[in-house]
Amino acid sequence: MNDPRVVRLAQVIVEYSLEVRERQILRIDAPDVAAPLALALYRAALAAGGFPYPTIAVDGLLEILLDEGSEEQLAFVSPLQRHEIETIDALATIWSETNTRSLSRVDPGRHARFLGAQRQLSNRRWERISAGEMSWCGTLFPTNAHAQDAEMSLARYEDFVYGACHVDENDPSAHWRLVAASLRRRADDLESVRELRIVGPDTDLVVGVEGRKWIAADGRFNMPDGEVFTSPVETETEGEIRYTFPAIYHGHEVEDVRLRFEAGRVVAAEAARGDDYLRSLLDMDEGSRVLGEVAFGLNYEIDRFTRNILFDEKIGGTMHLALGSAFPQAGGANTSGLHWDMICDLRAGGEVYADGELIWKAGRFLAEAVTDPAEPVEAAERG
Amino acid sequence: MADSRLGHLADVLVSYSTGIEPGDIVLLETTPLAAPLLRELYRRVVGAGGHPQVRIGLDGAAEVLLSQGSDEQIQWVNPMRSEDFERADARIAVEASSNTRELTGVDPARQAGYSVARESLRERYLERSRAGELRSVVSAYPTTASAQDAEMSLQEYEAFVYRAGFLDRDDPVAAWRELGERLGRLSAWLCERREIRVVTEGTDLTLGVAGRTWIPCDGKENFPDGEVFTGPEESSVEGRVSFTYPATFGGRIVRGIVLRFEGGEVVEARADDGEPFLREMLAMDDGARRAGEFAFGMNEAIREFTGHTLYDEKIGGTVHLALGMSYPESGGLNRSALHWDLVCDLRSGSEVYADGELVYRNGEFLPELF
Repeated sequence: MNDPRVVRLAQVIVEYSLEVRERQILRIDAPDVAAPLALALYRAALAAGGFPYPTIAVDGLLEILLDEGSEEQLAFVSPLQRHEIETIDALATIWSETNTRSLSRVDPGRHARFLGAQRQLSNRRWERISAGEMSWCGTLFPTNAHAQDAEMSLARYEDFVYGACHVDENDPSAHWRLVAASLRRRADDLESVRELRIVGPDTDLVVGVEGRKWIAADGRFNMPDGEVFTSPVETETEGEIRYTFPAIYHGHEVEDVRLRFEAGRVVAAEAARGDDYLRSLLDMDEGSRVLGEVAFGLNYEIDRFTRNILFDEKIGGTMHLALGSAFPQAGGANTSGLHWDMICDLRAGGEVYADGELIWKAGRFLAEAVTDPAEPVEAAERG
Repeated sequence: MADSRLGHLADVLVSYSTGIEPGDIVLLETTPLAAPLLRELYRRVVGAGGHPQVRIGLDGAAEVLLSQGSDEQIQWVNPMRSEDFERADARIAVEASSNTRELTGVDPARQAGYSVARESLRERYLERSRAGELRSVVSAYPTTASAQDAEMSLQEYEAFVYRAGFLDRDDPVAAWRELGERLGRLSAWLCERREIRVVTEGTDLTLGVAGRTWIPCDGKENFPDGEVFTGPEESSVEGRVSFTYPATFGGRIVRGIVLRFEGGEVVEARADDGEPFLREMLAMDDGARRAGEFAFGMNEAIREFTGHTLYDEKIGGTVHLALGMSYPESGGLNRSALHWDLVCDLRSGSEVYADGELVYRNGEFLPELF
């Protein structure tokens, strides 16, 4: 485990993303397979003067609950979990898995009811994050399962992950501070836009964003990161979009999704594979046919689709438009049990117009963010 | 690859030791090494209608904390842990170490500080156990580290572990109930005694037990089990005791411990190996120099020393004495952050007297007494 990149990843999360301070309680959520990163985080948090504690997960337990638990057990949220979410100051989540499809065969209804109950905890977590009472960062430790999804060897996948996090450099925190400044300027520029039009292969979609706040995803909540996003006006999405990459939700893959929107809602949907699943998700609830997010992926170290949303939604040169729940902090009002990020590759023939003006072509903004030509985004690209 | 013996172990822990019922909040504590057993436990707790709450330790974290943490960090008691012990209805803790000596390099004083800081946590946990509010069992999962301590292959060690828990028998629970009844009769008889004297090579130790309660241990709090114990009168222990077996404690080993007691207190302590650690543990607090527990190991399926206290202290034909905290249910009053079981083999050249009468010879109570 002497990979210095693991140590730097832990440091950047503790120092930059979470800003762990003295006497802050940091919970480190990690599966067993991510133990090297969990231990590195533990060490980094101790060095920062915090009170870290790991919560380690092993394979196969959730599956037992989902397969064999009673409805009461599925819906149970323990008082211990409620206490914990009120008490911690920071949370690091390592999402690594040993088998990304282990839940493929569980009953989706039972899984949804379990997630619904657990949402009480995640909602409370987001409340506390929004109120500035706690910090959170999600990341990934490279495993064979994720490498397999990415169709890479583990060694190559490690290079990919650590490159995307910029922890193959000596001072990743400095890098992310630069990225943060650049993304913030980009977000500021987009603030004045009333309407985006996205044009690409089988895609011509208009999304209203007037009055919405653009947010720079700069490595605080996710590592890696690199996107700007907002929540569109709920009733204004019009037109058609074709998602070039497979859309993945809880391990289910839906290929070649095409959606038609009228007055903000999906009115027609088809997929080359997983059509039934697509329809079942669209019918989940009132809000599941409405866009909750529109975003530009701006991490150009991430140059390929790897079947993991943490990376895919940030692929430099893509946009993603998520169906379902919106971000209140962006001014979004749509609520849904669904938040399904689907990614549209605009690197080949894509164009984006802001209030009629071409601002993005072939996966790049045409102009640097206006206020400062010091091109930190370019710095990010050089790696 | 499921080992059916694991299923039997999980059955006994869930249905017999802790008796999980619908609605119980059940802490399942172990390390990732015991994942196969954890899955069996989890399945059975769900099957019994309980709510499993999994607590899995991170290998290496203790060493990082003890060697790099500040005093404040070492003494920090996780409020989540306090809440666990406050709220849980049952707890199944399974030891599963990847390296039983991993803490050998840390400063024993810092280790003692860690234990002292957690005393209130332990006391609250014992208090709720005693009140019947928290049913708790400690068990162990066979790992290669433990097999190595036992000087066995993993396969041999697994056979040893399952045999020790009577899991190779048709009806393990019936076997535990039967042993429990036998130990109950022995405890009742011991409760009438006032003084115990243990004599073997290098050992002549007298303990006062008048008015103290002997407790039969039948697999409800330890698994495997098989002992009767009490808390000796605090100022009564006199004499010398040589512990036959090395004592593994707090992630390190101490060999050849000899203690001399006067007026209940250790007045002389030495060890062939690990003496500084022994001294540091004895200096942990006021209670650490007194015996908090004295017990007879009564599990005939455990014959061999394996370097793991859970098993060694139950070896049929041994006694053990614990430095430090006594269990209040035995009538013992000694308080300490320490509880360190030290085992003495009595299977050859040994005698035990109760109130001056020979009651035990070479590892066995005299059959004519019962």
